[in-house]
Amino acid sequence: MADFEEWLTWTFSPSISAIVVTLLVSLLLPILLHSYLYRQSGAKELATFVLIGPSGAGKTSLLTLFANGATTTTHTSQVPQTAQCQLPLTTRASEDRYRSENDDSARTQPQFHVLDTPGHGKLRHHALSALTDTTKPLKGIVYVVDSAELSSTAGLTEAAEYLHEILLVLQKRHTQGKTAKGPQGVAVLIAANKQDVFTSLPAGIVKTKLEEEMAKVRLTKSKGLLDSGVGSEDDAGADEESNWLGEYGARTFTFAQMEEHGIEVSVVGGNVLPDETGKTVTDDWWAWVGDNL
Amino acid sequence: MLEAFEILTTSGIVVWRKHYANPPLSPTLINSLITDVFIEERQSHAPTTYRKDKYVLKWTTAKDAGLVFVAIYQSLVSLSWVDQLLAAVKALYVKHYATSNNSIKLPQLNAREFDTAFEALVRRLDSGSTARRLSLPDSDGASELTPPSSSASVADDEPPPSLPVPQFKRPAAPSPRLASALQDDTGNDATPVPTPDASRPGTPSSRLVTAKLSRRAKQRANAAFNNSGPASSGDESPARAAKTAKKNVKAKRQWDADGMAMEGDDRVLDYSAAPGDADGEAQDLDVEDVDNAKMGSRTGKGQFVLKDLDDELDAILASSKEPTSAPAQTAVDENSGLLGTASTKITGLFRNFVGGKKLTKADLQGPLQQMRQHLIGKNIAPAAADRLCSSVETDLLQQTTASFTSIDATIRTSMAKALTRILTPTSSLDLLRSITSCISGPQARPYVISIVGVNGVGKSTNLSKIAYFLLQNRFRVLVVAADTFRSGAVEQLRVHVRNLTSLSKREDVGYIELFEQGYGKDAATVARDAVTFASANATTEQRFDVVLIDTAGRRHNDTRLMSSLTKFSQLANPDKVFMVGEALVGTDSVAQARNFAKEFVDTKGKLRNNGVGLDGFIVSKCDTVGDMVGTLVSMVHATGIPVVFLGVGQHYGDLRGLNVAWAVDKLMK
Ligand SMILES: Nc1nc2c(ncn2[C@@H]2O[C@H](COP(=O)(O)OP(=O)(O)OP(=O)(O)O)[C@@H](O)[C@H]2O)c(=O)[nH]1
Ligand SMILES: [Mg+2]
Repeated sequence: MADFEEWLTWTFSPSISAIVVTLLVSLLLPILLHSYLYRQSGAKELATFVLIGPSGAGKTSLLTLFANGATTTTHTSQVPQTAQCQLPLTTRASEDRYRSENDDSARTQPQFHVLDTPGHGKLRHHALSALTDTTKPLKGIVYVVDSAELSSTAGLTEAAEYLHEILLVLQKRHTQGKTAKGPQGVAVLIAANKQDVFTSLPAGIVKTKLEEEMAKVRLTKSKGLLDSGVGSEDDAGADEESNWLGEYGARTFTFAQMEEHGIEVSVVGGNVLPDETGKTVTDDWWAWVGDNL
Repeated sequence: MLEAFEILTTSGIVVWRKHYANPPLSPTLINSLITDVFIEERQSHAPTTYRKDKYVLKWTTAKDAGLVFVAIYQSLVSLSWVDQLLAAVKALYVKHYATSNNSIKLPQLNAREFDTAFEALVRRLDSGSTARRLSLPDSDGASELTPPSSSASVADDEPPPSLPVPQFKRPAAPSPRLASALQDDTGNDATPVPTPDASRPGTPSSRLVTAKLSRRAKQRANAAFNNSGPASSGDESPARAAKTAKKNVKAKRQWDADGMAMEGDDRVLDYSAAPGDADGEAQDLDVEDVDNAKMGSRTGKGQFVLKDLDDELDAILASSKEPTSAPAQTAVDENSGLLGTASTKITGLFRNFVGGKKLTKADLQGPLQQMRQHLIGKNIAPAAADRLCSSVETDLLQQTTASFTSIDATIRTSMAKALTRILTPTSSLDLLRSITSCISGPQARPYVISIVGVNGVGKSTNLSKIAYFLLQNRFRVLVVAADTFRSGAVEQLRVHVRNLTSLSKREDVGYIELFEQGYGKDAATVARDAVTFASANATTEQRFDVVLIDTAGRRHNDTRLMSSLTKFSQLANPDKVFMVGEALVGTDSVAQARNFAKEFVDTKGKLRNNGVGLDGFIVSKCDTVGDMVGTLVSMVHATGIPVVFLGVGQHYGDLRGLNVAWAVDKLMK
């Protein structure tokens, strides 16, 4: 106790050392605090793209291709995986669009993050939470589908239901975010993967098939049973209209209806694995990424 | 004999693999291991053996590195040493290559190098057939090793088993590599990663590097295991090239003594060029130093590497002999170390609240016990609670808590995730959609749903709720009284149907009718007749869309009545079988769910609905239990069958779909 009192007296005494210590503390504290907080918030966050889609569509394969330039063998994912990628030289970012072809001065290809999510039915909460996570600058969503699977009813239904869920989350995010300086729209690329497979559907058919199926999904969802969460406080104000994807009451669904909610959907074909001529077709996907950076 | 061995991340990327079979085994083997064991947890983690087709898969996991090691062999042979192999490969791999699993770099591995280690391991453990097959060069890794700078072409010669091309540990987008093919890539200088890398054993440059590395990374265990070097890039300005040349000359002189072949100084592989000029001298010194100190005992390149590898394998095998006691021991050591002094004890407590604490079994035990009590308090069966707790434990063990997060909070998040995973169905059920697609199209037929359950859980009530829901969607519904056993059952249904008829007339939706053949007849035949009756005029306006079959309630331990369910399901062949369970029942729900599920075998003796038996649970009387909705979890835990509907009241409209987030929220309160 005596020690403590002595120490206290010393801190208030006009001795040089006490003054120096006080000065040091008062000067260094803000600096330390700043550097700590700054490190917490991290450097400028890179743009993030999220890979979503049913299991086995080729998301992880695409991730390894984007990040490494070559595909790896993959298996069913259990956890999400982020990887840092860089736009290839052959693709131009949107900010570089007005640059001359021959101007090579200090042209650095932009980097971005790609987040791969598991597509298994039980693990889709990873993808959904990535969509609502506001700490990352979400620039776009790549919805990967297996174009060969879409010719089966089950495959088509699964792809459409999942896409419906994703788009509905994005739509709600947009409507709710309107008041504040909420999130801007996001771009959605539907990557019709596995074009190398003989039975695969071309991108155009993938688009119409998905649109048709999503109209049905939307209809039965609206007529289905209420779920048990209804009436809880965070769901308040959720009426039929806000749970309806796209233009309310419309019979047919088109991806163009999403534009009203700041969601631009494009369907582009390609294949991650090399086809028989040994080529992977991903240039258009890269171009889409470049446009949305 | 061993068929295949793979190392993959939990995110699904194969880091290294070796398939002895040609062509390689289909990826579906490991995929179904992952879905059945790790995701759907149909099999407990404890016996790390999984059978599929004619193969046996054994696995081990390295949780903090996010890795799974899988060995596959044919079930006809029994390989006793596979467990040892798994443990040894895991130890070897984790020691040398593992990075934290949340890095933004994809894991990569120099396949060639690991091949050597793996082969050596197998040779040691197995004196049988696999060792002989090892000489066949059919492994992916042994295939042509591409120097990084020339791997820019994305086309890989072998399509499916393409491996991560050996390259630097960096996010290697195609572009920088393309660039590096044209001009030397300088981006690497910033991060000279001291990791094993692709360098051809036997070239002078890699020798130079080996010596250097073994000194530089002494604290890293046994660096000489890798015949490799730090990946500082070869940015060679003409001025520096001379220097490198000089170094090489110097190096060659030393290797002469070792009797090494040293033609072919492969430029591309020479990553050892010093980043800065001043460094050059120091490195020369390094080489000299190490050579003098160590070369005496080591002759020849091959032995140099292999001897170290051998030592290391010895150590690893020795430690994996007692696989159970060893990890426990270290955990305890760590613990006593951590709590040894008072000050560390205080930081330990502090970290408990602030975060950044590495979780040990001891840390988790107390809070998990509390969590278990909490779950049981929510009416979750003890078996299910144990499973949830152990899955949380495996999830968190050796993990570090996030900043400003206490252990309790970490456990809560992890538990919420585990609950979400258990309750979320693998494929969601959209009843309306499956009915619509069943009753339309060329092979249109009525959709058959039957409801089973023990006595008095509310089968008939829930059946009428479903009927009401279907009526509102303008379907024509046939209700079948297949409870020919309990007196009054038919009358009860008749009342429901009469009420629903007047409701549907008032709202002008749908149509409902009762099908009954009185008491005493065989329920299975009644059901079949009803389905035939409903299908009779399938094409006319008078067709029925949905057949709803009510069955007699039976106690789940009454074998005679239970076994009649099998015949029933084979004759009526329902599209969906739902079991009604009460939210009120305690631990009994597990046994109920199990016994009912196992009765639904088809004529071939296989459980219907892909070996699960039932299609879903309807949990009734949810409004009476408040937050204690644990029965949902117990039932899903016991059978893997999802909960599809919840009964939440006395009215026809009181049927709800399950909202997983809602249920998890209630359970965690
Ligand atoms: N033929 C062909 N196969 C592909 C293509 N892309 C991916 N695959 C294969 O599809 C399978 C599944 O790919 P993954 O990338 O693991 O699938 P995923 O979408 O990550 O699946 P989850 O992790 O379960 O969600 C792998 O065996 C790939 O080799 C492609 O373009 N063509
Ligand atoms: Mg995946």
